[in-house]
Amino acid sequence: MTAEPLRAENLRKIYTVKGAPPVEALSGVSMAVHPGERVALLGRNGAGKTTFLRIASTLLRPTSGTIEVFGYDVDAVPERARPYIAVVPQEGKPFFHLCPREQIYTYLRARGLSRETAKSRTEESLVRMGLTEVADRLAITLSGGQRQRTMVATVIATQAPLLFLDEPTIGMDPFARREVWASLRDLTTKGSTILLTTHYLDEAEALSHRLYIVERGRVIVTGTADELKRSVGGTLKVVLPGAAGRASEFASFGETVPDGGTLTVIVAPERLGELMDLAVRSHLTATVGPVTLEEAFLRVVGRKIDEE
Amino acid sequence: MRSEIATTRAFGGTAAFLWTEVLVQAHEELAMATAMVTQVVLLVFVYILAPSLIGVALVGSVVFSTFTLGQRVLNEAAYIRIDHKATDLYLAGPMTAEGYFLGMAVGILVVYLPPVAILGALTVLVAHLSVATALLLFGLSGVVWLFAASIGYIFSTFFRDNRAIWAYASLFFNVFGVLPPVFYPFGYFPAYLRPVALLMPPSAAAALVQSRLGATVLSTGETWLAVVGLAVETTGLFVFAAYWARRTVRGA
Repeated sequence: MTAEPLRAENLRKIYTVKGAPPVEALSGVSMAVHPGERVALLGRNGAGKTTFLRIASTLLRPTSGTIEVFGYDVDAVPERARPYIAVVPQEGKPFFHLCPREQIYTYLRARGLSRETAKSRTEESLVRMGLTEVADRLAITLSGGQRQRTMVATVIATQAPLLFLDEPTIGMDPFARREVWASLRDLTTKGSTILLTTHYLDEAEALSHRLYIVERGRVIVTGTADELKRSVGGTLKVVLPGAAGRASEFASFGETVPDGGTLTVIVAPERLGELMDLAVRSHLTATVGPVTLEEAFLRVVGRKIDEE
Repeated sequence: MRSEIATTRAFGGTAAFLWTEVLVQAHEELAMATAMVTQVVLLVFVYILAPSLIGVALVGSVVFSTFTLGQRVLNEAAYIRIDHKATDLYLAGPMTAEGYFLGMAVGILVVYLPPVAILGALTVLVAHLSVATALLLFGLSGVVWLFAASIGYIFSTFFRDNRAIWAYASLFFNVFGVLPPVFYPFGYFPAYLRPVALLMPPSAAAALVQSRLGATVLSTGETWLAVVGLAVETTGLFVFAAYWARRTVRGA
């Protein structure tokens, strides 16, 4: 396996439904995911993330463009790509009348793993995902978060070379989410590669080496979380209550965002002192904090929406 | 830690998914009991109205039982695809689509075999079936099951909403399993419609067993029509179902 785990070139997908205008879900997406990477695909609802993931995981045909998994053309020879991948589908649920232990074990067996390997991987995955206490309870009796953990545990147990996770931690509590993050980090240190979608920006920041932001079927930004934050003009934000009407005075420091009576200024660290001097001279109180990925995401996508 | 990379082979994963389906279905004890309701109700009617036909009706009940397993395949395939996204989970991997289909169908058959076996045993006892006739009945019922399971899986891929399935599935399987001469003698069916009945697997299977029992007289041509029809339709539909299962993985 010397080829890239995932490579897409100019991928397009147009949905056609009788009696309705065609919808272009992907408009020429290109991306490469390198071995051992954890890459997050971000975007608003309907931006095209799930469509991309479904095409990459051989569950949907593209309209045009190419996409390869470990060098195998996903559209032309999906059966060659499938042994290398595993998918946590969006809104997927375990079988309600199986317990987590059965769900994981039978799934691994269905993928062709030997009894011994399937058994040991099942137990390992149950422990990793904190499911040992409920391992023998029918999934129908589990909470939503526990069911989702079962789905993730099922797929993680495959140790497939390329994992696609569509909103893998949805409905999980913060502790469970961190257990998933740790498991995913562990998997990539051992050689797997992960492409995930999420609406939790803290998750994307904590977990991914690189991000792709998709908007209306196009990749509008790619890079690390820090690069994305820098792209909005700075990595710090200064919150100035009561200064919303004075945005023009602070505009030279970076992007200004009035919200109610408060003005937020995005600023580069090297200009923070200068900005604080101005705030003091203007008799304003100021709170300084880091720009979060969510704020950067909102700015980047918001700008794109404004442009269009 | 590199995973064991399985290669995909035709019908790969059938046995494992069969076992999965057995575990899933085995929790539905009530469904297993209700699998016999229609047959038992019809048998009671026949026993009251025409007791001499109870042997024929029992033969029909066995054939009908395996035919309606197709409805269970339809329901299950659609439910786990639409509600659980199981198709995405299982088929974006080395397991084959035809293995998924066949595993599901056989798993459902295994779980629902006890009710069929009860009706089968009753039929053997009441209708005094010889070993050869009993083997013919069970063999043809198996063929009908394969036909019904195939059509059930194919139909399941057309639905996007489970609520629509309840109406259509029940309509299809009851109409084709009850209206034609499955529970009553083939000779009672209008003569001009008999070729149609012989081209429908449930009534063709029932007619062949009735003929063997002496409850119906089939001409040589009719016998051939039933046998060839059953063989061609079942083989053709099964092959198509396997092909269709593969085809609908992407965009089902």
